[in-house]
Amino acid sequence: MNLYAKMLIVLLLSAKMFAQKDTGPTSDDVKIAKDLRDSYSKDDVAILKSVENVSFAINKEKNGVTVNNSISELLMNINHRADISKYEFYDSASKIETFNLKYRNDKMANYPVKDEFYKDKDLFYNDARVKHVSFDFPVQGYTYKYEMQKKYDDVKYFTSIYFNDEFPIVNKTINITVPDWLDIEFKEFNFEGKKIIKTQKKDLKSKATVYTFSLENVPAIYKEKDSPGKTYLYPHILIIAKSFKNNNKEVVLFNSTADLYKWYKSLVDSMKDDSLAFKSKVDELTTNAKTDEEKIKNIYYWVQDNIRYIAFEDGIAGFKPDESNNVFQKRYGDCKGMANLIKQMLKLAGFDARLTWVGTKHIAYDYSTPSLAVDNHMICTLFYKGKKYFLDGTEKFNSFGQYAERIQNKEVMIEDGDKFIIEKVPMCKPDFNKEIYTANLIIEDEKLKGSVSRKYEGEGAAQFLAIFNSFRKDKKEETLEYYLSKGDKNITVNNIKTSDLKNRDQNLTVDYNLSVSNKVTSFDNEIYIDLEFMNEYKNLEFSERKTDYEFDYKTYFVSNVVLTIPQGYKVTKLPQDLLIKENDFDVSVTYKIIGNTIEYKKTFVFKNAVIKSADMNKWNEFNKNLVNNYNQQITISK
Amino acid sequence: MKEFFWGKNDIYSNVNTIPDKWKNESAVVIYKYENHDYHNYRINVTYTSGVRKKIMLLDEAAVKEFSEFSFLDKVYSDIGYARKAGANILGVKIIKPNGSVVEIDVDKETKLIDNQKKIAISNLEVGDIIDFYLFSQEKFKSDGSSKFPKVERVLGDEYPIMNYKLNFLSENDFFINFNSYNGAPELKQVKAERSSDRKFELEAKNIEKEEFSKWLYPLVELPSYKFQVYFAKNGGDRNGADAFLSDREKDIKKTVDKDEVFKKYRHYLSGNYYYNGSVHEDPKKFFKDKKFGSDEERVRALYYYARYLYLIRPIELSVAGEANLGKEYRYMQTGFNTPFYSDEDFFNYFIAFLKSNNIDYDIILGSARYNGSIKDLLIKDNLTPVLRVNTSTPLYLEYFTPFSGIDYLNSDLENSKAFLLMGIGSKKEDGIEEIILPSSTIKDNVSKTISVISLNDDLTNFNVNREVSYSGHFKADEQKEKIPFYKYVEEDNKLYEASKRYGIPKSKDEIEKKGMKALIKKLEENFKEKHTNSISQEYKAKVEDYSLAIIKSGRNGVKEPFQFNEEFKIKNDFIKKAGDNYIIEIGKFLTSQIEIDKKEKDRKNDIYMPYPRAIENQITFEIPQGFTVSGLEKLNKSVSNETGRFISTAIVKDNKLVIETSKHYNNYFEPNSNWLKMIQFLDAAYQFTQEKILLKKI
Repeated sequence: MNLYAKMLIVLLLSAKMFAQKDTGPTSDDVKIAKDLRDSYSKDDVAILKSVENVSFAINKEKNGVTVNNSISELLMNINHRADISKYEFYDSASKIETFNLKYRNDKMANYPVKDEFYKDKDLFYNDARVKHVSFDFPVQGYTYKYEMQKKYDDVKYFTSIYFNDEFPIVNKTINITVPDWLDIEFKEFNFEGKKIIKTQKKDLKSKATVYTFSLENVPAIYKEKDSPGKTYLYPHILIIAKSFKNNNKEVVLFNSTADLYKWYKSLVDSMKDDSLAFKSKVDELTTNAKTDEEKIKNIYYWVQDNIRYIAFEDGIAGFKPDESNNVFQKRYGDCKGMANLIKQMLKLAGFDARLTWVGTKHIAYDYSTPSLAVDNHMICTLFYKGKKYFLDGTEKFNSFGQYAERIQNKEVMIEDGDKFIIEKVPMCKPDFNKEIYTANLIIEDEKLKGSVSRKYEGEGAAQFLAIFNSFRKDKKEETLEYYLSKGDKNITVNNIKTSDLKNRDQNLTVDYNLSVSNKVTSFDNEIYIDLEFMNEYKNLEFSERKTDYEFDYKTYFVSNVVLTIPQGYKVTKLPQDLLIKENDFDVSVTYKIIGNTIEYKKTFVFKNAVIKSADMNKWNEFNKNLVNNYNQQITISK
Repeated sequence: MKEFFWGKNDIYSNVNTIPDKWKNESAVVIYKYENHDYHNYRINVTYTSGVRKKIMLLDEAAVKEFSEFSFLDKVYSDIGYARKAGANILGVKIIKPNGSVVEIDVDKETKLIDNQKKIAISNLEVGDIIDFYLFSQEKFKSDGSSKFPKVERVLGDEYPIMNYKLNFLSENDFFINFNSYNGAPELKQVKAERSSDRKFELEAKNIEKEEFSKWLYPLVELPSYKFQVYFAKNGGDRNGADAFLSDREKDIKKTVDKDEVFKKYRHYLSGNYYYNGSVHEDPKKFFKDKKFGSDEERVRALYYYARYLYLIRPIELSVAGEANLGKEYRYMQTGFNTPFYSDEDFFNYFIAFLKSNNIDYDIILGSARYNGSIKDLLIKDNLTPVLRVNTSTPLYLEYFTPFSGIDYLNSDLENSKAFLLMGIGSKKEDGIEEIILPSSTIKDNVSKTISVISLNDDLTNFNVNREVSYSGHFKADEQKEKIPFYKYVEEDNKLYEASKRYGIPKSKDEIEKKGMKALIKKLEENFKEKHTNSISQEYKAKVEDYSLAIIKSGRNGVKEPFQFNEEFKIKNDFIKKAGDNYIIEIGKFLTSQIEIDKKEKDRKNDIYMPYPRAIENQITFEIPQGFTVSGLEKLNKSVSNETGRFISTAIVKDNKLVIETSKHYNNYFEPNSNWLKMIQFLDAAYQFTQEKILLKKI
């Protein structure tokens, strides 16, 4: 190589290195990053600007409507350094056409993009795929430009647009271009209190209207557990494409709920159930049953106990139930498959049972909106003696006539030939789920000793049975003991007696003998007693929580501990009672001396299965007092 | 395939019942079969493995466990080169309680998810027997000498096993090391179908399920087997194989004697090392202008300096590389490759120095205690070589970690029998002998914590200030937890007065200049969060306002412990109100102690522990004004026996409650007969954590 060639290489190399320099932040960028970090102290990255465009086209082949959805974003690192991923999902009904990342100088940032199946622990298989890229921002103020274009084959699968993202957005704009040939409705959710600016502009040339929604300072989505579904939390637009005109002919999409039902019904009608496969099983379950109710229970419980929940979401299988004979033979299925098997088995046994669509508690919508986003679950409705009973095959140990919190008070759409019925699943009262802890204790050798009786009803009982029955046979006893003693070495449990832990139709009881060490301490002539060895709800404290806290179910918990005062002693100090009564929570903690006993009673009622974000301060203040109470001792002296 | 596992030779095809004694188990394995098949055509090696399990499912949990299978679509070997995608084939059938057999159409029902295959098993219920096999084939080319991974297993599994069979099928050029331990049946040769093949079998019956308790070395105590297969082509350098091979491949190798070990390792002692100029620096350069009082100090100084040159200095560069901090870093990194490609290189680097300075040395070849005794040595990878320098206090050199020291022998090897490879060129004869390695004691391995605790004014939160020091084997793990890379890089840069910080490139690029600082700031934030969480777990309480200051890193020598200071607040815990008085759960400041539960009390196994150790605590509680303390009696405990001790004392002095506690584990090993003695002091320490004092209003 001659000197000239060598020089050229050196020059080219340095030119390349030089070019990379302007990927770094400008001093303005650094200032912006610092300011933003002051506002978003928990976030590493902010999106300075996010523009989302939505447009529609006619799919002539299928006589349908396609959707183009594109996003362009300017991402900035507002912390010292950030390592993040961007990802986008697609499936058999959509594809991603552009997915790239550029440096500040518009050069492509060639981080490896992965394209793989989206794996979800709750879904055995689904056709959703994810494109994702991981990349880093080496210094504060560093930026990337992100661009994504996605195409949906069918407008019915494009249901909503959200403003919030994983990262806070300084400036979010959504432009939806609606051609004149398309009749579409935008339903706005959670817009109240948000400064969303809406404009619309008619473009005569392209015969379309551009609807623009913009919002500034959109916080990142909340990373909190046990929160309501996103349809409750964030502002979003539900897209309802009602109909379109193709060559002057009107094609109806989802104009009304009837159209949604019509589509669902078409899927159901295409199923070929063969009830012969389970005829002998239905006979076996019903022949010896003395009453209709017993027949129904035998079938419903058999499905709960014997069909494993394994979900395949593969194209249309995400909406169309699997045939009942398949589910029966495979002994597994998803909610739709189980609902259909219950329906077909009940039908075979001579009952009127129908498929039923429902959006669980996670979804804010009802059937006034014709959209695939309205429901996410399927159950079976039994019409029996003029009443409707809702049977959910995915519940374990759910007693006939009882309903899980997640479907209570939710609208259901029930099959009714070419028509459909809209109903609501009844709601239960909190005392339906009563859990009672009763202990009668004495003091012996500085230990609290006595008997305990626990009683569970409703969903508490169902949950207990489901968990208990999921344990290995050879570990059940040990695990139950561990649960009752809370794994606390100070608590010894023995002589456990339970009700039938397979029976979901009776109240569940667990009785046992208890001995608690290290809770009674003698100093001089005084004995200090800590009756608080269970510490219920002690850790239910929410610091900086932004969203409602949702319980698994409406809760009604009572603890009643009665302690016999040792002979020759009198009570010199009892902690003070504690009461709070709010709309969503009602708690009392009381201490009473009755004869020679101290009655320590606690009642916790969360009647709506929620602590609202607006009530968090009230709850936290109460929790502080509760902990304070739990940290108090009873003093008795001679 | 089907024929191979389920065909006419399957003597277990009709075994569909289980013994009554196992009726209450979750599942019972009726038959477990493993097959390993090694064949080659010249340098083309094919390894075929198969496992079959026939299991009766007795509860929902077992049905769930076997209701889904996930396996790789294709398998690739980790060995050799020119690896070919091999088949991975699953077969499943279900035997119903009425004896009917349903075979699953695996091809039809399998879903391919990226490179994984998944299948949900149809029609599986409690009471069924699931009978499945997974067959895989790996193909690769060998350079004539290839080592398969070692296998070391206990016979028992999570479910009881009625019948177990392990098979090897091999031909010439494959050497099998295999032995059974602790009462497991022996491997036997049986007749192979092809005359060129060799077939070996291990059969076992009636194996109870295994549950593993704490402080257990399963391979030392439970029935188990170990094996490793080695491909060594005829005509190749079999003596140079990275394994102990039998003389003839038709013989299974069961033991390894010291002469074989000597032959395999003697070249470690050659001391031939070429210091390659600027990158692989000659130690002479380091010792120029430096004076040391003793050989011991010289060796120690060289070890730490080499650790700096070849491990610490490149760390910052490799972190920068991983964090994408720019080209300049990558250019620099290429200049900092380690000169050590193997243990042998590492030893010879130091041996060359020792030889030229007439310092006596030898090489210890030990086997970690959890492998079992050295007399049962079978697998070369289980030997750990350590260079022992025979200075007045011996030094033990192993490859560096950022926290490695040389004043202690590796704790895994201590107190066990080992081989000693005696130095060529030293005064001793060239040779090998069996020795017992030294032990460390409770005086060497000490954790000492001095905590000063006070209550805030409204008597709700505790302020804790504690100074912690770790010595001996305690150190490395704690240093790893608490000293991030940038701190030890900085420390060593200072120590060796590095003329330039190697981590900072001279580039003008802003990212390269500032990127490392930004990364460190980010790591510092994560670090604080991590420590707050870990200390919350240690105290089992809510901790706030945590800060850590390292006093001594303890990275450079035996005399210096690892020492640091921590301050934090414990909120709303450990204090209970009783009228005007308060109960303080003072014992909780000892932090959580081992809890031996009812089940563990019935332990059947011996007790195997990492090393003898002492945990000393001094807890000073500042008594708030206007209160007196009572209840000191229960803070005075004393349990002491040959296994260890827990002793605590408490006194009030200058309005302070001063508690001293001392917990010792005396030994590496205790026979099961001593378990109750151990429980005595473990329970005493636990009980201490439950003790309270009364703060009485004056």
